Amino acid sequence: MRTRLLWLAPAGLVFFLPAADTRTDAARIDFQRQIRPILSDNCFACHGPDEKQRMVGLRLDEREGAFAARPGGPAIVAGNPSSSRLYQRISAKDATRMPPPASTKSLNEGQIALIRRWIEQGADWQTHWSFRPPERRPLPEVKDRAWPRNPIDHFVLARLEREGLRPSPEADRITLVRRLSLDLTGLPPAPAEVDAFLADKSANAYEKVVDRLLASPRYGERMALEWLDLARYADTHGYHIDSHRDMWRWRDWVVDAFNGNLPFDRFTIEQLAGDLLPSPRREQLLATGFGRNHMINFEGGAIPEEYLVEYVVDRVETTATIWLGLTMGCGRCHDHKYDPISQKDFYRYFAFFNTIAEKGLDGRTGNAEPVLTLTTPHEKSLVDELERSISAREKEMPESRVAALEGAWEKTRKLPTASGDRLASHYEFDGHLADTSGGYRHASIARGEVTYGEGMTGRSAGLSGETHVRFRDAFPLDRDQPFSLVVWLRWSNNKSMMALASVPEAGGPRGLAIEFDEFEPLPDQKRGSRLVIRLAGSGPEEVIEVRTRALIPQSAWRHIAVIYDGSAKAAGLKIYVDGKAQPVETLRDRLSAPFHSAASLDLGNKSLGNPYKGSIDDLRIYSRLLSEEEIDHLAVHEPVRSLLADAGGRRSREQRERLREYFLTRDAPETERRMFSELNQWKAEKARLEKSIPTAMIMREMSKPRETFLLGRGDYRNQGEKVSPAAPAALPPLEKDAPPNRLGLARWLVSPSNPLTSRVVVNRYWQMYFGTGLVKTVEDFGSQGEPPSHPELLDRLATEFVSSGWDVKAMQRLIVTSAAYRQSSRAAPALVERDPENRLLARGARFRLPAETVRDNALAISGLLNGEMGGPGVYPYQPKGVWEDIAYGDVYSAQRYTPSGGKDLYRRGMYTFWKRTAPPPALATFDAPDREKCVARRARTNTPLQALVLMNDPTYVEAARALAGRMIGAGDPARRIELAYRLAVARKPETREVTLLRELARRQLSTYRADPESARRLLAIGESAYDGRLDAVELAAWTTVASAILSLDETITRQ
Amino acid sequence: MSPPDEIRLHLTRRGLFGLSSRGLGGMALASLLEPALLSASRTDPGGGAGPIQPHFAPKARRVIFLHQSGAPSQIELFDYKPGLAKLHGAELPDSVRRGQRITGMTSGQDSFPVVAPIFPFRQYGKSGTWLSELLPFTGKVVDDIAIVKTVHTEAINHDPAITFIQSGSQQPGRPSMGAWVSYGLGSESQDLPAFVVMVSQTSGLNIDQPLFSRLWGSGFLPSRYQGVSFRSAGDPVLYLSNPPGIGERTRRDMLDSLAALNRMRAEAFGDPEIETRIAQFEMAYRMQTSVPSLTDLSAEPPHVFDLYGPDSRKPGTYAFHCLLARRMAERGVRFIQLYKRGWDQHNDLPRDIALQARAVDQPSAALVIDLKQRGLLDDTLVVWGGEFGRTIYCQGRLTATNYGRDHHPRCFAVWLAGGGIRPGISVGATDDHCYNIVEDPVHVHDLQATILHCLGMDHKRLTYRFQGRDFRLTDVHGEVAAKILA
Repeated sequence: MRTRLLWLAPAGLVFFLPAADTRTDAARIDFQRQIRPILSDNCFACHGPDEKQRMVGLRLDEREGAFAARPGGPAIVAGNPSSSRLYQRISAKDATRMPPPASTKSLNEGQIALIRRWIEQGADWQTHWSFRPPERRPLPEVKDRAWPRNPIDHFVLARLEREGLRPSPEADRITLVRRLSLDLTGLPPAPAEVDAFLADKSANAYEKVVDRLLASPRYGERMALEWLDLARYADTHGYHIDSHRDMWRWRDWVVDAFNGNLPFDRFTIEQLAGDLLPSPRREQLLATGFGRNHMINFEGGAIPEEYLVEYVVDRVETTATIWLGLTMGCGRCHDHKYDPISQKDFYRYFAFFNTIAEKGLDGRTGNAEPVLTLTTPHEKSLVDELERSISAREKEMPESRVAALEGAWEKTRKLPTASGDRLASHYEFDGHLADTSGGYRHASIARGEVTYGEGMTGRSAGLSGETHVRFRDAFPLDRDQPFSLVVWLRWSNNKSMMALASVPEAGGPRGLAIEFDEFEPLPDQKRGSRLVIRLAGSGPEEVIEVRTRALIPQSAWRHIAVIYDGSAKAAGLKIYVDGKAQPVETLRDRLSAPFHSAASLDLGNKSLGNPYKGSIDDLRIYSRLLSEEEIDHLAVHEPVRSLLADAGGRRSREQRERLREYFLTRDAPETERRMFSELNQWKAEKARLEKSIPTAMIMREMSKPRETFLLGRGDYRNQGEKVSPAAPAALPPLEKDAPPNRLGLARWLVSPSNPLTSRVVVNRYWQMYFGTGLVKTVEDFGSQGEPPSHPELLDRLATEFVSSGWDVKAMQRLIVTSAAYRQSSRAAPALVERDPENRLLARGARFRLPAETVRDNALAISGLLNGEMGGPGVYPYQPKGVWEDIAYGDVYSAQRYTPSGGKDLYRRGMYTFWKRTAPPPALATFDAPDREKCVARRARTNTPLQALVLMNDPTYVEAARALAGRMIGAGDPARRIELAYRLAVARKPETREVTLLRELARRQLSTYRADPESARRLLAIGESAYDGRLDAVELAAWTTVASAILSLDETITRQ
Repeated sequence: MSPPDEIRLHLTRRGLFGLSSRGLGGMALASLLEPALLSASRTDPGGGAGPIQPHFAPKARRVIFLHQSGAPSQIELFDYKPGLAKLHGAELPDSVRRGQRITGMTSGQDSFPVVAPIFPFRQYGKSGTWLSELLPFTGKVVDDIAIVKTVHTEAINHDPAITFIQSGSQQPGRPSMGAWVSYGLGSESQDLPAFVVMVSQTSGLNIDQPLFSRLWGSGFLPSRYQGVSFRSAGDPVLYLSNPPGIGERTRRDMLDSLAALNRMRAEAFGDPEIETRIAQFEMAYRMQTSVPSLTDLSAEPPHVFDLYGPDSRKPGTYAFHCLLARRMAERGVRFIQLYKRGWDQHNDLPRDIALQARAVDQPSAALVIDLKQRGLLDDTLVVWGGEFGRTIYCQGRLTATNYGRDHHPRCFAVWLAGGGIRPGISVGATDDHCYNIVEDPVHVHDLQATILHCLGMDHKRLTYRFQGRDFRLTDVHGEVAAKILA
């Protein structure tokens, strides 16, 4: 395809191309920019670093291989193309031509000619540019000495002069202050700030604005925006169920680090190895959360070893992209095809990150180990105090003393048996299904098996979900007769299910049913459901049905009592759980006919719905009302009575604890009872407090470090050679005395001898201000990446960054105070055509704001913005169902979206809760990434879906309404429009713009005047209140005007 | 970006300035919604080196991918093994399992008894294809589809497996198949997205498997290629409707003013992006009409609803989505991705698979019939299948009436129909235990290569340069499964 397009190129057309170009003029050929990219893209896959794939032993990515003597002659003979085997083969007209067709690569005539000329000129060869240390060259000479403001401009201008171009004039002051404000803080300038700059006639007025903005806390937020993409920061784990995590404290650390101008080397070391510093501070431990921002899995059935490898691979890829600009991930499965990174290099680098004390599957309930508990000093003192009280109290109640008291008590204490008065049936489940009431209504197994285990009174019966137990004629009761049914249940179903019910007869369900409603989540990943009791007569209308209001938690023994007074009214039906009366709601309340059913009462009958799964104990049915005392006795005292009665039996731990608690709560001496009650309160309080203290995931070394092996094809199952941590062989090694761990690696990354880091980082800064890096492929400084458009400038900035002590603010300041940055972004058509991507920098950059800034900008213009910094993620307006449509039930966190109320709706976009599998839709529409992986370069698209967001997302509709309110306050229509323009785009509107919008307002006034109801509906959007004194029709009409202004291309663009 | 791409980009831009008064604005618009007219000259300012037109004559112009999320059991539905009855209850021999890794959900079981399907099979159609009685409607179209019984994958859990079949990689980060196709072929529609996604919820009683937006994401491709979610409740496309109180006239009036204001700046700045912005607002406006008319089924005659079954009148159901998929196909949507959740039957399989099959069988077959009646099946490729298969051995307790099955990567069944596919065939054979493939394996990458092939694209040449490498949907693998092709 590529070749097919090439014939479109008119012969001899001279391109401006900052990258590898095919210019064939007489000038000296630049190996780095013109030759190496051709060789890399077309030859290296088979004649490059990958030893296994290398053909005929020829290696062309290194000088040595390219010029080495070979049987058929060297690949390259300097000065002599026709003796160069490489040239012979690429220019061959027969089947020997390289690259071969199977490679899908091919060279065009221009490229072949270029290589020929390069060989003719002596085949000058250099190591790949980014692997050589940056050089600080003297400033190039320029003709226009007046233009440069700082060193940057010498390099930019020299290039422009070479190309025969002139820089654009400086942008006007209004444009400049808006550009600076959006670039450095992500927020628009207030009109007063614009005015102040316009009024400041001092020579350094511009620099004063820069310094003001760099000192603003908003600067840290703006810088963090980029870092969060790189660090793949998110509020959920990302894989599968994708429940929440708490890493926002790490995010706040990043903002603080930028605002405090933490030098980039320390910024690096603390995030990669803060835990390995000598006596690290808490912030330094927190910083290492960087290395835990990757996705974490806990999918049921997944294999831990597999994901341990994925986490480490992610750390390798992320750090290699951020600091080295290398696509090291290629080395996971095989030697890199283009760059000198062997598979072994990959695993040696991998080894640095393979010793974190983490689990392969984790994160089910929030943060995954290891975590840092971020206790405040106040919280710590509270916990300490409780701990002291608890331990003191435990000393006051020595086990020996309590045991002695309890032993004495146990010998003498007798509890009365429960009343057997009018006990219609009684199933004790003590290893059998007999009715021990004397009624001989024995139960039987209808399907499956019953297993007997420890119960609440003696043993209990277990049902597997496949078991069906039938209580024959157990319930001989009817409408006018009081009854009480009491039972211990412990169930593990997580869907609605029928517990005990009469089997339906012909004519519909009839009799008693005890059912559990749909299960709902409770805190701590528990579930519960509401208990429904139904008394059904014949016919569908003949039903009394009541339901508990509270959810009853599953998976523990619950004592359930249902009592009915024979009144045929719902009010006569009461439910007790664990001896306590439950508030109920009445669902149906009509029972005029008998409901007695001759059928059996069933447990686990599949035909009645989901069968019961769990245990049952001590089912009693009385043909009378039990008193509250009797119910309390059955729920609280009867289990203890049965324990005490069984004096010889060996007690389980649970039974011993139950007995102890009963004794200390009810029968122990008053002092012990008080002490025990306080102790329980303190323990509960401590648990509650500890649970409320947030944590953050951090890196911590394993006590016994895991060994690292080369993994065949990157598969965790194919362990090969054992490797130890080291830097890639093609780069300088770690310092001799450096520890071979993350700390050593971090120091190596920011060592002045590392040729990559400083270049890669300043290049990303450049991208922030010019839309494109000097190296466009900011994530790839390798062989296949694009060479820099201004290599000397890149090196200058890189060396400047290091020599300044990695001063981040100083670097931003240097860039934004350059004349290059200050140019107007207006572009003549000829220049757009010549340099559509503005790689020559003959004009200022003009590009759409980042997603979060589009939103923040609208909120700021409208006055709605809540500038609060930091804290947990917030939930702005989001259409219903975005999460729920793809979620996994509701037991896990981050499955249901509930919008924040109040001021949290208006926080900056960067604080929006970021769910990886369903990222915030309005931000994603403007190219915000899902944060699954490290992103160094966001896409910048222009789509109709963006137009829909600006027109219809409640955030923007509400912002328009709020802006309209501000506008109306400004006075007449012209003033209103002027205010809105100054807020939105900093400048005053042109006359024709005012005219146009006045006309829009006039037409809309008449539209809404004719339809005031529509006005009210429009104004009702959004939670914020508006000034009730404003006329609704007028406000609605101006809301439309404000919406147009907020949707302007200029409003969402920095120019 | 490699030099030839720069040249092409440069030239195309020059060409467009000459061709179109809308300049780059028109071009960028074409990139989002890709009218076929412009697709030949489409370029990718984001840095792509993709071939933009088909590599050879396509058989299919669009895809409807009916993904059965959770992984339906091939044993109960497609892979007829009369001999299993004899093996029922017997332990799965090690000679069959051959050390196959299994998930943490069953690796602790001390027994792996073989379960024969509880549902009978019978022969359908002229081809006499054996299918489960759970699929009577699929049986009616069995002569129009090709059943591949030997698709196999690498992952054994849902997240990596579904990510793999949708993007060619088990780990996140790659573009989805729909994104690749819309990048490769663009859209045929002037006012609808090229790639649309619909999620239908479970019909069984078990909890669904979750899904992830990455499954229809664009990965490293420019984000305009990502799937647009069509939703069942609220706006079919997010933010589509005007807010309450904004009438049609007000919207038009506001847009006209906005366009006029933007145009003034375009004159002053000479930035083609402004023209694009104007065009995108107009496109959004057109979508406000075209999307509701697409999702409004009121004009469909009763016999169509009868064909798809009663659920087809209920928004959000799989049947409704199948009918909608046909309407999208008619309107030129390039890649229509459905997800039907609820096939993950680790336990209570007999109950849940029956419920799920009942919800899926009729609409899936109806879609094939409907497309065929309208002459659309010839150039529409329909794909039906999950992310892996299910184990022959029982998960949990095996009783006379109940059992479950765990995840099985070594074989599962997928059916395809329509453009480029040989109808009425079954491809591939598994062993007696429905565990290993003995004939004609089709790896997930092969399936992907085959789908692209039907669309006229060579999977080895549909590439995008990212991080210095020309990435493909099929990574470095994949062979077109020629036996499936017409």
